[in-house]
Amino acid sequence: MIKKTIMEKKRERALFIILFFISIIFSNLGIPGIENSNIMPNYFLALIISCLLNKNSFLNLYNLVIFGLIVDILCGQLLGQYGFLFISIYFVYFIIQKITTISNSKQLLFLGFCLFIFSFIALWATSLSHKIFIPFNLLFLQFVLTFITYLIFNIFITRFTKN
Amino acid sequence: MVAKESKSSLKLFNRDSFPLFSFVILFILCLVLMGLDYRQQILKEIKSRLSITVSPIIYLINVPANIFITSKNNFISKIQLEDKIKNLEQTNYSLSISVQENKLIKAENKILRNKLKIEKDFNIVGINAEIILPKVKNGYSIITIDKGLKGNIKIGSGVINNTGLVGQIINVSNNYSEIMPITSDDYAVPAIMDSSKENIIVYGDGNGGLKIPLFPASSSISINDTFVTSGVGGSYPKGIKIARVVEIIPTKSPKFNFIVLAPFSQPTTFTQITVLTTKK
Repeated sequence: MIKKTIMEKKRERALFIILFFISIIFSNLGIPGIENSNIMPNYFLALIISCLLNKNSFLNLYNLVIFGLIVDILCGQLLGQYGFLFISIYFVYFIIQKITTISNSKQLLFLGFCLFIFSFIALWATSLSHKIFIPFNLLFLQFVLTFITYLIFNIFITRFTKN
Repeated sequence: MVAKESKSSLKLFNRDSFPLFSFVILFILCLVLMGLDYRQQILKEIKSRLSITVSPIIYLINVPANIFITSKNNFISKIQLEDKIKNLEQTNYSLSISVQENKLIKAENKILRNKLKIEKDFNIVGINAEIILPKVKNGYSIITIDKGLKGNIKIGSGVINNTGLVGQIINVSNNYSEIMPITSDDYAVPAIMDSSKENIIVYGDGNGGLKIPLFPASSSISINDTFVTSGVGGSYPKGIKIARVVEIIPTKSPKFNFIVLAPFSQPTTFTQITVLTTKK
């Protein structure tokens, strides 16, 4: 197992908090010229999945619940929804890690893709609007935008945390 | 780049122990919180209390976008402004004629009501407010106005402006309130077509428009027909303009049509609104 130095851990924590604030800012801004709220990327999902896949040492179950509650209070619709979502992602990620061998970045990318599908289903299942039928093209566009956000976060994290 | 750098931290097998007990406790905690919030609306209470600190921050976040829009408006050319003034003068002229007609109709209506002994049923007053933030918050549309509990705003009140129905108050704090716009996909309002007696429910489509998923094919409807509030349910008075028909799409069932509507008011096209309150 690769142990991280205290400096690395501190850097990861700082980066996560900065990206979390950026996510809050962007989720309150909206995309200029696009009125449809359904296609806004989910910055928080992108952040959590990219940090988990990059093995951010700051992320543990308790921190995930705390950050989930912060997201709910600032931008959410139901208290506990994002906490539930984040720890579910953590759980699924851990189980996949236990039963599979992740040996290259393509597999890691595919794992991220699978986690996004899982998180979108979980988000839909816990949605307050109880909508069963969501226009597929809108959902697909939101998924694509969230995945792009994930890739951007991923670049930031690899650039600023890896030596 | 990702491929090269991520290899260093990749491992063949994960032998970490999973904190199962903590996970179960936190999982149950989240479920309990969700259930409690759904039943007792705790989040709304928390948001109301935090709005004093959160709203200015959100306002500051949106300042650059607002400055951009304002500066864009400031650089409109003189010709465009002159055209706008000309159009406004024409509108003003036609409106002044409509006002005269309305006065006549109002007087006639009063005489008829007295003759038929019908009591006045339009007992609605409003509180004027200003929109400070029309925006999207983490995937759902919201409009923030500058009046709250101190301004006598109540949750559930209807919101209108001079063009028609705007939405409904969903969250109130001391100094701010949040409106769910009619175009939000969680929004529904009982409506009636102004040319018929068909009572239906109009839904927001979450994309700046409105829809009626199942409109009876037996009822006559055409493009540009207007829908107004029906007054059913008591949240809104009867007769507030909602939207006009822009498209009629046949569904798989021959008994129904899918109607696409364009709202008369959009949150980006106005700043002043009126929150409806019922007279006691």
